Amino acid sequence: MTDHSFPKISRRGLLVGAGALAAAGTRPARAVLNIDINQGNVRPMPIALPDFLTGGPTEGDTGRNVTAVITGNLQRSGLFAPINPAAFIEKIANSDKVPSFPDWRAINAEALVTGRITRQGDGRLKAEFRLWDVAAGQQLDGKQYFTTPDNWRRIAHIISDAIYERLTGEKGYFDSRIVFVDETGSKDRRVKRLAIMDQDGAAVRYLTRGDDLVLTPRFNPSTQEITYMSYGQGDPRVYLLNIETGQREIVGNFPGMTFAPRFSPDGQRVIMSLQQGGNANLFVMDLRSKQTTRLTDTPAIDTAPCYSPDGSRICFESDRGGTQQIYVMSANGGAAQRISFGEGHHSTPVWSPRGDFIAFTGQARGSFSIGVLKPDGSGERVLTQGFHNEGPTFAPNGRVLMFFRDVGQGPSLYTIDITGRNELKVPTPSYASDPAWSPLLS
Amino acid sequence: MRKATAISAGLHAAVLLWATLSFSGKSFDVTPAESLPVDFISEKDFSEMTKGVKDAPKVETPKPLVEKKSEEPPKPIEEAKPKVTEKKELQAAKEAAQPEPQPPKPDPIADKLKQPDEPKQAKTEQPLPPKKPPQKPQPKFEPDKIAALLDKRDPQRSAATGVEANATPSLGTAAGSAAQLSQSEIDALRARLMALWNPPVGMQDASQTQVTIRIRFRKDGTLAVGPQVLTSGSGAQFTAMRDSAVRAVFVGQPYTMLRPDHYEQWKEIDFTFDTKQMFHDLPAR
Repeated sequence: MTDHSFPKISRRGLLVGAGALAAAGTRPARAVLNIDINQGNVRPMPIALPDFLTGGPTEGDTGRNVTAVITGNLQRSGLFAPINPAAFIEKIANSDKVPSFPDWRAINAEALVTGRITRQGDGRLKAEFRLWDVAAGQQLDGKQYFTTPDNWRRIAHIISDAIYERLTGEKGYFDSRIVFVDETGSKDRRVKRLAIMDQDGAAVRYLTRGDDLVLTPRFNPSTQEITYMSYGQGDPRVYLLNIETGQREIVGNFPGMTFAPRFSPDGQRVIMSLQQGGNANLFVMDLRSKQTTRLTDTPAIDTAPCYSPDGSRICFESDRGGTQQIYVMSANGGAAQRISFGEGHHSTPVWSPRGDFIAFTGQARGSFSIGVLKPDGSGERVLTQGFHNEGPTFAPNGRVLMFFRDVGQGPSLYTIDITGRNELKVPTPSYASDPAWSPLLS
Repeated sequence: MRKATAISAGLHAAVLLWATLSFSGKSFDVTPAESLPVDFISEKDFSEMTKGVKDAPKVETPKPLVEKKSEEPPKPIEEAKPKVTEKKELQAAKEAAQPEPQPPKPDPIADKLKQPDEPKQAKTEQPLPPKKPPQKPQPKFEPDKIAALLDKRDPQRSAATGVEANATPSLGTAAGSAAQLSQSEIDALRARLMALWNPPVGMQDASQTQVTIRIRFRKDGTLAVGPQVLTSGSGAQFTAMRDSAVRAVFVGQPYTMLRPDHYEQWKEIDFTFDTKQMFHDLPAR
């Protein structure tokens, strides 16, 4: 027994020894251990936002307000968890000085934003901020802006975007606005006015008086213009409205009703539906030459067109197959390809500014949902579902969707992440519907 | 009395002797079994083997080790599980029984009477003599049907006897002595960093999903110098990714799970942070 096993062992021992020698020979003297970390723990990042310092008592509130707006923005994004200021240990007295990082580490802050608002000699405000990485103990970003004092909110949004982009690696969406339909009055005598506000629901301004009914406002991606559908006495028509001047004009000179307008990505054209008998077809109008082109010619209702971000394709809703579904075709018309095959109806498609998704309103089994699918029709996902959800619109970075929901009395605006998380109600003065998110203002 | 004592003593001695010889003989057998071949794998390789990869291609299960010996496997299987109450059985039983000349007296009469009439009656009256012999012999009779009894499902744990000498890795580290950095220490370190690392969401659809960072540790588990980023890149997504990894490494210190007696091995570690497997089900272009 032992006679047999002994030579075996020794042979293996030799092999092992030879292997060890070979390994020792080929490896560097001290191999560096390599460890793969292939899973993370995605969670809101704890961030400390002490009030911005101010140069004097006149700007006292501004500093606090700017911080409050930034805090609100970051919190609502769902990606940050602002720390309660009551927990702060260090009191920032000089925003140029390197903060005492152990004090911020002690309250588990991972990032810290310090800043200062000072009034310049010419009356303008100077806003500075620094973004610190508490763990690494270094500055990540630092910028300063000059603006008029009444523009402080805009500055706060711009700073929020800078922080967001630096920490998430993605463009922000805070410096943007929402145009929507403000609804007041009783249910049977609703007054609908066009209104515009910051994406966080602040600074609401009304654009129409409410004499006519307004629907589906849409932003021009490049100018301060919106297009919408309105009807008072005559047929519903598509209008163009300049936000700054209040100037209004009818788009196209069509005999029938026009509806569901939307700008092309370059802002030079408006695409919309034109009713012809019981059918509706898509038309596009060049805003400069006023030339109109017919894109579809079907005995069906083609509506809710939306360009892809590169302007090469159009997604729209059509009932040509029997039920309302989403189709994609070339921006010049031609054959359309159906992309929605999920349960129920699919309507109001909107192409993400990133191009990766098309959001839609789904309708199945008596409930309305907001969902996304890829432009090739794959990966359909429902983000939220309920009694009534409708009209999605993408944030400029394509990460957040806004839509309106009516649970009975009247509609309200909501935002939701494209992952389906972080659903939030957007504060509006009264009932609100048909939101449209603007591109980034800066 | 004496005789009995002597016999008892003798037997005891014999048993003891037998036990000593036979047990000691067996104990020699055990030793060579322990000298298993040792695979040289690094800690990384071992972790790779054991962690499971989400995006790995599907590996086909190895072919069954059992060779099929029978030409027509389905038939034997059916016959292997006989159902006693079935009519076919009964007929088969009769056929099997008929050639045997021993019980011929009841057979012809009963057959002629009951076959044209009703098969049910055959069950009640006839079965006793022919039933007993065929039930057992049927599976056993044909030698080529034995193959049907073998389990032909794909082997599940027998892969270890397949082509690879050892498909199921055992804990054999590169320098497998006890005073080395153990796998559990590495796993604890990895688990800590996974818990702390908050990868930026912008990485979801980024082309570059990896960043490698070299860390030099002090003996107390804190960082000796700032992390050294080995991956080069640019752009907002890269910087956000890099900073998130650096942040995790900073926040995690001191790394007390690394024992000082193995310091030589962990005083410098390269960490590769990779989001590729993280956002599998989330939107990606």
